[in-house]
Amino acid sequence: MTDMAQMTPRPRTIGLVNWRGLWTLYLKEVRRFLNVFTQTVLAPMITSLLFLAIFTLALGRGELNFGNVPYPQFLAPGLIMMTMIQNSFANTSSSILISKVQGNIVDVLMPPLSPAELTLGFAGGGVSRGVIVGLSAGIGMSIFVDVAIHNVFAVVYFGIMASMMLSLFGMIGGLWAEKFDHIAAVTNFVIVPFSFLSGTFYSIERLPENWLFVAHLNPFFYLIDGFRFGFIGHHDGSVWLGALIVGGVNLALAVIVQRMMSRGYNLKP
Amino acid sequence: MSAGEASYRLRVFGAVNWRGLWSLYRREMKRYFKYVIEALGGPVVSSLLFLAVFSLAAGEEAYGSIVAGSQGPDLGAFIAPGMAGFSLALGAFHGGCYPVLYDKLEGMITDVVGAPLTATELVIGYVFSAATMGLLTGIAVAAAALLVVDIQVLALWRLLLFGGLLSLVMATLGFLVGLWADTWDRCSAVETFLVMPLGLLSGSFFPLDTLPELGQAAIRLNPVFYGVDGFRSGFIGWSDSSALLGLPVLAALFLALFALAWLLIRRGYKTKP
Repeated sequence: MTDMAQMTPRPRTIGLVNWRGLWTLYLKEVRRFLNVFTQTVLAPMITSLLFLAIFTLALGRGELNFGNVPYPQFLAPGLIMMTMIQNSFANTSSSILISKVQGNIVDVLMPPLSPAELTLGFAGGGVSRGVIVGLSAGIGMSIFVDVAIHNVFAVVYFGIMASMMLSLFGMIGGLWAEKFDHIAAVTNFVIVPFSFLSGTFYSIERLPENWLFVAHLNPFFYLIDGFRFGFIGHHDGSVWLGALIVGGVNLALAVIVQRMMSRGYNLKP
Repeated sequence: MSAGEASYRLRVFGAVNWRGLWSLYRREMKRYFKYVIEALGGPVVSSLLFLAVFSLAAGEEAYGSIVAGSQGPDLGAFIAPGMAGFSLALGAFHGGCYPVLYDKLEGMITDVVGAPLTATELVIGYVFSAATMGLLTGIAVAAAALLVVDIQVLALWRLLLFGGLLSLVMATLGFLVGLWADTWDRCSAVETFLVMPLGLLSGSFFPLDTLPELGQAAIRLNPVFYGVDGFRSGFIGWSDSSALLGLPVLAALFLALFALAWLLIRRGYKTKP
């Protein structure tokens, strides 16, 4: 009897969390984008440096200051955040959509991974992309601009929260979309406008009175504002309120994605 | 005799296969019009966003002359036509790169290579359709900009001449890249590391004298600068460079790139086994 049991492979026992499966999914997601490193890390870094150059040159004529901060120093954290936002979104949305279109999404759905583990695994990949891209953009910028860190906790917290939020949005987008055009449309008409108009390039004090209220409803504004506070110590809104809001939004989004995954929305027949 | 009359006869054409050339051009444009909303909507939205953030970031400074101590254009009037020129260049590059790469990857390039088209006709068909796409992008962005910025068309000939030449240059460059590339990644790599820097650092967003001497010299080596600068002068009547220099530079570059494309197609580079 004991000989028989030793010869047939036994199923792996999994505790509350399938750590090995989660780790495997996470590794797959990270390797996916590192495989095309030039496109996924180097390209956004170059683009953000170009943005820094054109905005500084176009607006650098006068002594443009926000608070006591020269414009390039004000702009750099905003651009880093914008790059993180766009890349986290691109990572999860493209990963899920490509898997769906090519049919290899079943390889992710079949293994013993719970909806929550799927959510975490995909989102972890997006967060890693956001953080890596943000770091490389920041290092690139520090060559040209004096990037000092005022409060490291704010930088880390808002950086990770931003990557997380956009990874989760990306998953919702990737699950909803059926064609690449859909994701391109969401990127062009939702993500890019929001990341442009949420205070990346200017202090929201510049907005007309009645737009200020609208700006405060926008979660991207708190991400950029809090992240920038971590660098230059200047903020337009309340940092603590912002920290609470982005944390809450992330929690809600995670629950939504987990529900979508467990229902198999646009995933299972 | 009667047998010859009943069977189909070969079509006879002269020095130029006009029908073939027109068919190729029309096929390219038809393909483009399937996704024209995305192709034009993206650049229009991002140009308007750029305009908005530039004006908001500059605040009151946006209303002064952008050129030191003169009656030059203000920030919006300078940037809006620059954006149109930049979008035109990028649109032409896309129009040149993606169709030929797609045809190669899908194996459809044989339909074009096998048709009775000379190398010249083939390159003209691809490049002029791509240049048309670039011009359409430029027109769409300029039309959107005209609604929000106080500029008007001052010299149409400058718009057409510089816009057309810049579009042709970028379309031919795109065609060459598409011909050379084996994967989509290559096309987007060239776009990110060559076309975007050339386009964004071409003076589309800032006048030359913002830069130190060395930077000015570098930008004068960038052919996109002459295209964007000349194109913009059609709207605001002010330019950093002379048309007498810009036009020959662009024309010479176009002819050189065209000759290279012609040679490659004639040799069957990546199109024939």
